[in-house]
Amino acid sequence: MRILRIGPLGISTHRRTFAVGLVMLVALVALVIFALSNGQSSITILDSLKAAVGIPVGAPADFIVGQVRAPRALTAVLVGAMLGLSGAILQSLTRNPLASPDFIGISMGAGTGAVVTLWLIGASSLWVTAAGAAAGALVTAGLILLLSWRHGIVPLRLILAGIGMGFVANATTQYVLTRMDMHEAGNALGWLVGSVTGRTWTHVSVAAICLAVLLPVVLWNARSLRTMEMGDDAARALGIAVGPARMALALSSVLLAAASVAITGPIGFIALVAPAIALRLTRNAGVTLIPSALMGALLLLAADQVAQLMPTTIQLPVGVFTAAVGAPYLLWLVWRASRGGPA
Amino acid sequence: MTRLQTRKAVIGYGGTPIVHGVDVEVPDGRITAIVGPNGCGKSTLLRALVRLLPASEGTVLLDGEDIHRIPTREVARRVGLLPQSPIAPAGITVKELVARGRTPHQKVLRPWSATDEMAVTSALHSTQLTSIQDAVVDELSGGQRQRAWIAMTLAQDTPLMILDEPTTYLDIAHQYDVMDLLHHLNTRQERTIVMVVHDLHQAARYAHHVIAMRDGVVAAAGTPREVFTEELIRDVFALEARVLEDPVTGTPMVVPAHGPGGAR
Repeated sequence: MRILRIGPLGISTHRRTFAVGLVMLVALVALVIFALSNGQSSITILDSLKAAVGIPVGAPADFIVGQVRAPRALTAVLVGAMLGLSGAILQSLTRNPLASPDFIGISMGAGTGAVVTLWLIGASSLWVTAAGAAAGALVTAGLILLLSWRHGIVPLRLILAGIGMGFVANATTQYVLTRMDMHEAGNALGWLVGSVTGRTWTHVSVAAICLAVLLPVVLWNARSLRTMEMGDDAARALGIAVGPARMALALSSVLLAAASVAITGPIGFIALVAPAIALRLTRNAGVTLIPSALMGALLLLAADQVAQLMPTTIQLPVGVFTAAVGAPYLLWLVWRASRGGPA
Repeated sequence: MTRLQTRKAVIGYGGTPIVHGVDVEVPDGRITAIVGPNGCGKSTLLRALVRLLPASEGTVLLDGEDIHRIPTREVARRVGLLPQSPIAPAGITVKELVARGRTPHQKVLRPWSATDEMAVTSALHSTQLTSIQDAVVDELSGGQRQRAWIAMTLAQDTPLMILDEPTTYLDIAHQYDVMDLLHHLNTRQERTIVMVVHDLHQAARYAHHVIAMRDGVVAAAGTPREVFTEELIRDVFALEARVLEDPVTGTPMVVPAHGPGGAR
């Protein structure tokens, strides 16, 4: 095995994984620079970089880059990373490439929680919305587990229960929307489409804090996650405390999805697709967390840039765009599974 | 001498006992075979020996200490397990799989060490997998795949190795291939081996110690010659059989007494 060791932290990884990760990181930085400097007002790359970190360069750039483009791009990066991580964990835990928070109802549950919070408390603070989303996602996850539990977790039952719970959550959301006044419901509807438009530094900081708390938990349990892919018995026999590790990982995955929903609204398919692409690129056996997060960030930022390039009259929220691109991938997965090939 | 034993252990799933108060001693440095009819509790007993299942009454002792008081990782450094149907992650290579056996010796912030590398190299060597270490496990034959899993358990470097039906699903040549490997590991590396096997002939040939179970209790325990008698086979398996001498090894050989041309 060609293993690479990095520094005193002793992170060992495959050379290929490291190289692919590095390429993704470089691509991400390049894409962020593009996102900062590209738009209807032409601002030079240097000026946009300065404005993004708060060095004044003049009137339009300071505002357009500093207050519009930079928070929007960083929100896309952070939320994309959250979605990639959340999907990678869930797919690994269930050993199923169809398990992603937006497909098995977790994101819908988070959406319901957030809308209920908006209805009852109003849009007072992003943290309140995030707490509502987390509550909704956790309740949904709990119900999915309850419905699919039969002497342990049966992955197919879990996915079917999740799809069902997704419908229940969406119906609940729709009902709550009818109870809200027109203006609030309109705002909530816009948010439910999933978008990074108009995101501020508050959104960026909430995303950064959530990621800073949850990422270490996930990485700490990364080896357990990989080992559990060999089955519970094998993992226990290798000294993994399966119960606590699975709990920590599942909670992290649900909370990452919930936080992403609170910040941008539900954005589909990134969590489904990013881990799969990361796996193909790194050719890793089993879950690959950091590349999944980087791929999620790349995909969401790229999707938002492409959505912005569309003529203004048909500019799509990024959530609609990812759904349009992601749905064929899902169909392809289902088609492969139905042909009996490795899904 | 024994490092692993049970004392009046009652073991089961969710309050339904399957094993009813058994006393079992695993002799050090020997191969122990657990045999018995389907549903007799042999796999349940095996799971309790590696701490996958708790004893609801009585105890399982590892080095004289209640196995449930020993931290999971510490148990995994002393007892290795090859489960009945482990899952190989898609695309994993033989060497990567074997390297996973080092998990209990690693810490979150500790990198892959020279000791780890040596254990993996030696496990690949003992199982004759060195030449195909970069092959993908999914693409191996059943026999090679089983050897890869045994190599993973070997890399764990535990004095005790426990195997749940290591020869099931293999053709006869590969079954004996695996048995010869276990024999080799036992004699050359002095590993204590406990295995659940269905084939009494294999148990008689390769095990030094046989534990025969029936209805969740130990019906007999001892050397193959002591355990494999016509009365015991009738008693434990409800099978009329002759016990002959294996013409190759001289160990007991159980031959059913009925069937076409037989007594019935």
